[in-house]
Amino acid sequence: MALFVAKRLLMALATVLVVAVLAFLLVHAMPGSPGAVSLGAGASQDAIDQLNQQLGWNDPLFSQFFRWLGDAVQGNLGVSLIDGRSVSADLADRLPVTASLAAGATVLSAIIGIALGVTAAVRGGLLDQIIGGFVGLLVALPAFWVGIILVYLLAVQSSVFPATGYVPFEVSPQDWALSLALPVITLAVGGAAFIARQTRASMLEALQQEHIRTLRATATPTWKILYIHALRYASLPIVAGIALQFIGLFGGSVIAEQLFAMPGLGQAVQTSVSTHDAPAVQGVVVIATVVVVAVNLVLELATKFLDPKLRAS
Amino acid sequence: MIPSVAPAPADADQTASTTSAAAPRRRAGKAAPTKASRYRLFASPGAVAGLLWLAALVVASLTAPLWLPFKTEDQDFTAVLSGPTAAHLLGTDELGRDILSRIFAAAAGTLGTSLITVIVGVGLGTLLAMAAAGAERTEAVISRITEVMMSLPGTVIILAVIGAVGTNIPLIMAILGILMSAGIYRVVLGQAKSLQSQLYVDAAKVDGLSPVGISVRHVLPGLANTIVVQAALIFAVGMLIQAGLAFIGFGPPLPQPSWGGMIQGASQHVYDAPWMMVPTGAVLALTVLSANAIGNALGKAPNAAAPHLPSAAARRHRAQAVAAIAAAPAPKDADAQEAPGNGTLSVRNLSVGVDNGVGLVTGVSFDVAPGTVLGLVGESGCGKTMTALSLLGLLPSGVSVSGGQILWNGRNLAAATDKDMEGIRGRDIALISQEPMRALDPMFTVGYQLTAAIRRLRGMGKAEARSEARNLLEKVGIVDAQRILKTYPHQISGGMAQRVAIALALSGQPRLLVADEPTTALDVTVQAEILSLLRALVKDTGMSVVMVTHDLGVVADICDQVAVMYAGQVVENGKTAAILDNPRHPYTLALLAADPHANDADNMPERLATIQGQVPQPKDWPTGCRFAARCQFAGSACKDPVPLLASGTGEGLVRCVKADQLAVEGMDWLATDVPAARLLPISSQHTTAAHQHTTVIEKDLA
Amino acid sequence: MSTSVTERPDSALPHEGTPMLEVKDLVVRYGRGRKAAAAPAAVDRVSFSIAPGETVGLVGESGSGKSTIGKAILGLQKVSGGSISYQGTDITSAGAAQRRALGGELRAVFQDPNSSLNPRNTVGTSLAEPLRLRGVSAGEARAKAEDMLERVGLPREAVDRYPSQFSGGQRQRISVARALICDPQLVVCDEAVSALDLSTQAQVLNLLADLRDERGLSYLFIAHDIAVVQFLAQRVVVLYRGQVMESGPAAAVTENPQHPFTQALVAASPVPRPAEQAARREARESLGVRTGAAAVPGPGGCPFRLRCPLATELCATERPALRRVGTADVACHYA
Repeated sequence: MALFVAKRLLMALATVLVVAVLAFLLVHAMPGSPGAVSLGAGASQDAIDQLNQQLGWNDPLFSQFFRWLGDAVQGNLGVSLIDGRSVSADLADRLPVTASLAAGATVLSAIIGIALGVTAAVRGGLLDQIIGGFVGLLVALPAFWVGIILVYLLAVQSSVFPATGYVPFEVSPQDWALSLALPVITLAVGGAAFIARQTRASMLEALQQEHIRTLRATATPTWKILYIHALRYASLPIVAGIALQFIGLFGGSVIAEQLFAMPGLGQAVQTSVSTHDAPAVQGVVVIATVVVVAVNLVLELATKFLDPKLRAS
Repeated sequence: MIPSVAPAPADADQTASTTSAAAPRRRAGKAAPTKASRYRLFASPGAVAGLLWLAALVVASLTAPLWLPFKTEDQDFTAVLSGPTAAHLLGTDELGRDILSRIFAAAAGTLGTSLITVIVGVGLGTLLAMAAAGAERTEAVISRITEVMMSLPGTVIILAVIGAVGTNIPLIMAILGILMSAGIYRVVLGQAKSLQSQLYVDAAKVDGLSPVGISVRHVLPGLANTIVVQAALIFAVGMLIQAGLAFIGFGPPLPQPSWGGMIQGASQHVYDAPWMMVPTGAVLALTVLSANAIGNALGKAPNAAAPHLPSAAARRHRAQAVAAIAAAPAPKDADAQEAPGNGTLSVRNLSVGVDNGVGLVTGVSFDVAPGTVLGLVGESGCGKTMTALSLLGLLPSGVSVSGGQILWNGRNLAAATDKDMEGIRGRDIALISQEPMRALDPMFTVGYQLTAAIRRLRGMGKAEARSEARNLLEKVGIVDAQRILKTYPHQISGGMAQRVAIALALSGQPRLLVADEPTTALDVTVQAEILSLLRALVKDTGMSVVMVTHDLGVVADICDQVAVMYAGQVVENGKTAAILDNPRHPYTLALLAADPHANDADNMPERLATIQGQVPQPKDWPTGCRFAARCQFAGSACKDPVPLLASGTGEGLVRCVKADQLAVEGMDWLATDVPAARLLPISSQHTTAAHQHTTVIEKDLA
Repeated sequence: MSTSVTERPDSALPHEGTPMLEVKDLVVRYGRGRKAAAAPAAVDRVSFSIAPGETVGLVGESGSGKSTIGKAILGLQKVSGGSISYQGTDITSAGAAQRRALGGELRAVFQDPNSSLNPRNTVGTSLAEPLRLRGVSAGEARAKAEDMLERVGLPREAVDRYPSQFSGGQRQRISVARALICDPQLVVCDEAVSALDLSTQAQVLNLLADLRDERGLSYLFIAHDIAVVQFLAQRVVVLYRGQVMESGPAAAVTENPQHPFTQALVAASPVPRPAEQAARREARESLGVRTGAAAVPGPGGCPFRLRCPLATELCATERPALRRVGTADVACHYA
């Protein structure tokens, strides 16, 4: 088990490194040198060249990369070309927004998805078909469209929730929750549908296992067969599905943040890509990867822990 | 906005089909697979509608310049932000552009570029999976890489790519395909590996077919359906992602219209013109829905295994059927009159059928006295297991008792509700089955499963149940019970697992044990041990056993009584010694003659007796003797229904009109060959006259 | 030990010195790395040979390595040590080209009739595949497939049908037809009848016996059921945990077994005659063989020692060599 954890940690580290290299190369392929981006359209070529020289843009690629890596390890992701702010500081402000969004959406979609999936598998018949149709519809609806409709219904027509904006937790926990509600629901709609399908499939597979018949043959109450034995058997793929969902939702926050004007990582990607702000793009890609890989690692270890076969080995 | 880089399971049955392909279970498919998937596609109304919609969209979009009322950039300042009107069927946007025209103009590009994602993603994923399935080391490397790919924040990376290459939609969609190929790889790999493990692949390797040849000839065709399913799902995801990108401003360069861009425009006017959201959103959702419907319809496995615990809806359905049986007046024939004594199981005229009416077991009767073992013996497809499972009310979904009685302690279990049966199962009647490994819950320890059953069935406290669990394990011959209690089922051997399963069955101190081929999956030395254990348990506890088996040796070893079953009927029953030493029914004669165990090495015949053909399918059962078509002695009298008649040996019964005649004439079932009509001269040069066993059979003795 | 004891006059073919197949000190280990090297080998120094026209039965319980040996001979399993030669040619690690050349002569019938034919191909396509690989024209291959189907008792029209349209026994006949379509010399039958019901099992066993006698085939017949092996084989090799326990003429091994394991195996196989079975059961119980459930012996010595009534300390330290007892070779210090 310890060996397994060590291997996975190493893998996670390698993943982040690969992404860092990838991001570095992508950033270098962006149109316009950093000097040109930083100084804007009116700048003279001399000024641009001088700034490029100053930023080390003309150094060999690998020395630039290792300089960036050295700084990054110490928590310094460079300075934005647009506003001169520290990228690390900016991302540190933004991370909690996206993290609460993604975590909230994952938890909500897990709760709704598992409830729907289990109900569909266990009840069967017409209810199964109704849930199946509903879930199919949810999967097909684009998140941004759902979000706008939610804004229209819950913020414009009846102002239950604020339409846009983000209130930090420290300012007012209640307003924080209210400001998160619509974006979280927006993201959770598709996620819940995905997890519902995964759960239904896993539950049905669990109920096809022969040991379910043994449990019935020893007079195990139905609720116990369903919610202790079958759900336990189905839990492995469900948790794996939730892990995938978190990755998807973390990326999906780009849309929700754009739609609800939330100052999160997604918004940072969107603006920095639009403005060709190289250090910001690189920083946000790496940070997003670190978060996603870390959460994935934790959930993967949880999956392994749930499986007695893997735990024993 | 990337819902997930891994494709969602299309449907429950999609996963079920991939897993069931991995396990070599019996599968019945009548038609060629391609036909089956086409049938599945057209059987689903949603998928047909989806196909029609996609086709219409493509045609409409490609011919758009010919019929669209407006150009995409035509601005109608008289109708800005208008709802649907006669001129603008779907309304206009903030610049007065016709929404209908823009939607269809954008369709071709959206569909086409999503197709790029499909081709790149599914193509790459499939190629990787086929390469990995053939070689372990390659698989380790590729799986590692794809794991990394799947744990990446795909959206963020795609945005960084856009930063580098701009909004070159085809290129971006291709890169998206690469990112998604990891998830497709994972789905396809499982199936490719199960195909690689098929014996026909081994056979092709023996032929000398190269690994590439095997992939192309034997693996790829088997993946076709999965690939199409994944393609449909990825197509849908691709469209959603593309629209999402356009929504946040990374769509195709302006003024080219895109669905995501149009929704983005509409979102700016959600306060003053909410209608604008509707047409584009609906068209996008409909298109995604269509692709998903096609994928789901194709992914549906036609023969998904039935659950061992039916859904609530199915249980309600069954409760109604049981109520109908309970309400039916009990037949007042001679059989049903004397109520059996305590602890005696009496099955009277039992019929079991599929819910659509096909019978699987018809008119089966037998009694099992306390402390005795009854063998239900016959080939597969004869209804032995269905008969046994009906005793516990554990018939699979879609199969139920359709008539007759199962009398136990004065109650008719055939008419008992599931709730009532819960009081019987484990306490009165217990079950052990063929594959002990699969009969135990893999997620819980042996100790947990045993103590839970003991507490439930015997009302014991935790500590007491724990020590009783140990006693039970020792009783079934497990020496280190304390250790076994702490193990999980996968940590013990098959023979040990069957002992545990027997201990579990004994936990409620049942008076009848239903054993469904309990030793078939075990080695012969282990089988002997388990049979000895069962014999000792019968002797010690006085319980009775219904033993389902196909092995006449097992019958000889442990059964007091035996009922030989053929095609859903009992064809002969009586005392084991009488039946095995002096069989009366031609089927029993034939089974014994075909059994190599019945012969010593010294007098091993050069040919074994065989029975022509195979057990008929339940829907093909004739009204007359069901064995007649395969019987050496069949005659015209066998065309009428045959009752069970006294066989003349003890209290045994036999279902054959010629039984007496055969006994008098001392006929044996002869070793026959392929029917003469089919036996043609052998064309190869090997025709040696060594063996010419053309035994001529009197077809009709009468 | 390659002396072929044949009781059937029609199958006693002249010996030409070189055996059809010779397996010498075969070792197969699963997995790689240090862990795998420390684990007991799946097949541990197994030797036997098959004379032309001879049928050798390989018997053992699950985990005895019998199927692994079959796979190693067919080139489906990597060999860790020892050698396999076919008609005097070493094929232990034959490459793809050599295997392809051999593929017509050395063929296989596998256990599961459900998976031994590709369900997506017609029977004709499956039967023609080995011929087509050897450059036979499509028309000729089809004709040959039809002839072969007829020979195994199926109608010629079966070429155009799919495997799902046949019963298990019929599918196994098709598998036999596929194995024999290239006029092979040696056929490895790996549990070829285990998945079949009694009556169909008898049909396939008869067919295998007829084809052997017609064509002078050699079989390596792998099975867990000693009675089935006894029907077809002239010689029997008994395996336990990857090692040969006993080998010799079929009648001698099954009627008068010398090794304690063979005795236990034979005694445990039930016969369908109640009185005789009761006697056999008593005889089995008096053997004093211990249960195999928890007995995993350490490396070295006799693998059967933990269950064996005769075992002494010697059995734990020294692996018994095969030695002649009567007409059989037995690996036991005390037999």
